[in-house]
Amino acid sequence: MSTPTLYLPRDSRLHHLHPLTKLALIGLAIVAGATLPVTLWVIAVYLLILMPLAAWGKVLPAFLRSSLLLIWPFALSLTLIQGFFAPGEHILLQLGPLSLKLEGIQLAADYTARILVWLSAVILLMLITRPDQLMLALTERGLPRQIGYIILTALQIIPRFQQRAETILDSQRARGLETEGNLVKRLRALVPLVAPLILSSILELDERAIALEARGFTRAGPRTSLTTLKDTAPQSAFRWLSLIVMLLLILARAAGWMTA
Amino acid sequence: MIRLERFSFTYPGEDQPALSDLSFEVPAGQFYGLVGPNGAGKSTLCYALAGMIPHYFKGTLSGSLTVAEIDIAQSSLGELAGTIGLVFQNPFNQISGSRFSVRGEVALGLENLGVPRDQITDQVDETLEQSGLADLGERSPFALSGGQQQRLAIASILVMQPAVLILDEPTSQLDPVGTSEVYALLHQLVGQHETTVLIAEHKLERLAEFTDNVLVLNQGRLLANGPPKTVLTDPLIEEIGVQPTRYTQAARQARARGLILKKDEFPLTLQDAQEFFDDAAV
Repeated sequence: MSTPTLYLPRDSRLHHLHPLTKLALIGLAIVAGATLPVTLWVIAVYLLILMPLAAWGKVLPAFLRSSLLLIWPFALSLTLIQGFFAPGEHILLQLGPLSLKLEGIQLAADYTARILVWLSAVILLMLITRPDQLMLALTERGLPRQIGYIILTALQIIPRFQQRAETILDSQRARGLETEGNLVKRLRALVPLVAPLILSSILELDERAIALEARGFTRAGPRTSLTTLKDTAPQSAFRWLSLIVMLLLILARAAGWMTA
Repeated sequence: MIRLERFSFTYPGEDQPALSDLSFEVPAGQFYGLVGPNGAGKSTLCYALAGMIPHYFKGTLSGSLTVAEIDIAQSSLGELAGTIGLVFQNPFNQISGSRFSVRGEVALGLENLGVPRDQITDQVDETLEQSGLADLGERSPFALSGGQQQRLAIASILVMQPAVLILDEPTSQLDPVGTSEVYALLHQLVGQHETTVLIAEHKLERLAEFTDNVLVLNQGRLLANGPPKTVLTDPLIEEIGVQPTRYTQAARQARARGLILKKDEFPLTLQDAQEFFDDAAV
């Protein structure tokens, strides 16, 4: 059974970068997406930075597929809402009392471009970074281990819960539970489904905790790691530089130095 | 290696003790079985031996319990990790969920103990080899069969090289193939590393085959402590609700129906039974 991670193992230079360097790259794209004043510049971040990075990491097809799949609901709803309801002068289409305006479409395009950059930057990070290595890098820099553990476990355990929910659903159906039909019927069917799922999960908590205790999870003292993350001086310099650029972008936007 | 002296434990809010006045010893390097009906206190005893009682499950305890020269009540779970290993029924609940490969999962305990990386690599490789998981090192722990997952759970504890290994019905959710895999591994472990093993188990034939001694627990009390041949064929265990092996049952019925048996003791395993009935005369 698969885990809900997007990670694609590839032999690329991008994959071999330190997870924090990848995080800095993606952070830079996200901050740029939020602060750049011109829509075309934001689109340029996607076309000229994120897409080439994805190609470098040998994950371009998956990157394009995921980012386009995720963005179209935003594009559609933003175009409808902003197009018809944002104030503007240039009417493109009149539908009874409603009018589609150019200003609204431009606003929708701007929002869509920014959301596209944010979402696809995160997708790219997930495509090229193993979650456990990212968490290792973050815990090495001070993220509490418990938080890292919760995130990683959630990634792997959620699909098992889905599997169990299906088993419970099947067995309740076998006992005559009606799960098809109108809303009230479906809602009523939820109780015999959710209750065993939650109860069994709570009962398992003790066993999980004990299994971790037996392996020294709460032991005091220094820890080591089987995995070592390779870091280099240029990568470290790049991360500092990215941080400075991010701060400058935010400052420039806040102070109004960048305008359309 | 394990020593209990008049050890008792009562869960909070309960009138009756879950373990009552237990005294026994398990010498180093021995393979001990633990049998008893459901609710006899087997799991509670396993938790106590691993230090989960009183450090995880609270309650009232009296008497003394030392494992590997450590007074359990005075220690902490952090200190006990690596010295006493605990494996239980459900392999799924023993997988940490925070590692994406079998190798990573096995390494987790050593990482928590702060073992240097080179040593982790060596010990993980050796343990994977020993547990028959070497070819599955890069596989996701969740992509294994039940038997493989239970071997992974055992490997994840073994890698820490505990002096004592406590197993609470580790094969109850496994099919015969998975059960055989687990017992083969344990047998090898006791032989090679002189690990002291105590296993709670319902499958008496396996205990007959592998253990040096068997403890019988009923209502929190120790009823018997002796070699499997004596203890597991004793009618006493059937009286408390533990089903004897089918070979023992067959031999008893044969005697009841007038088969004259030369041997006094009843067979436990298939091999015993063959010898037993070879010697029998009608």
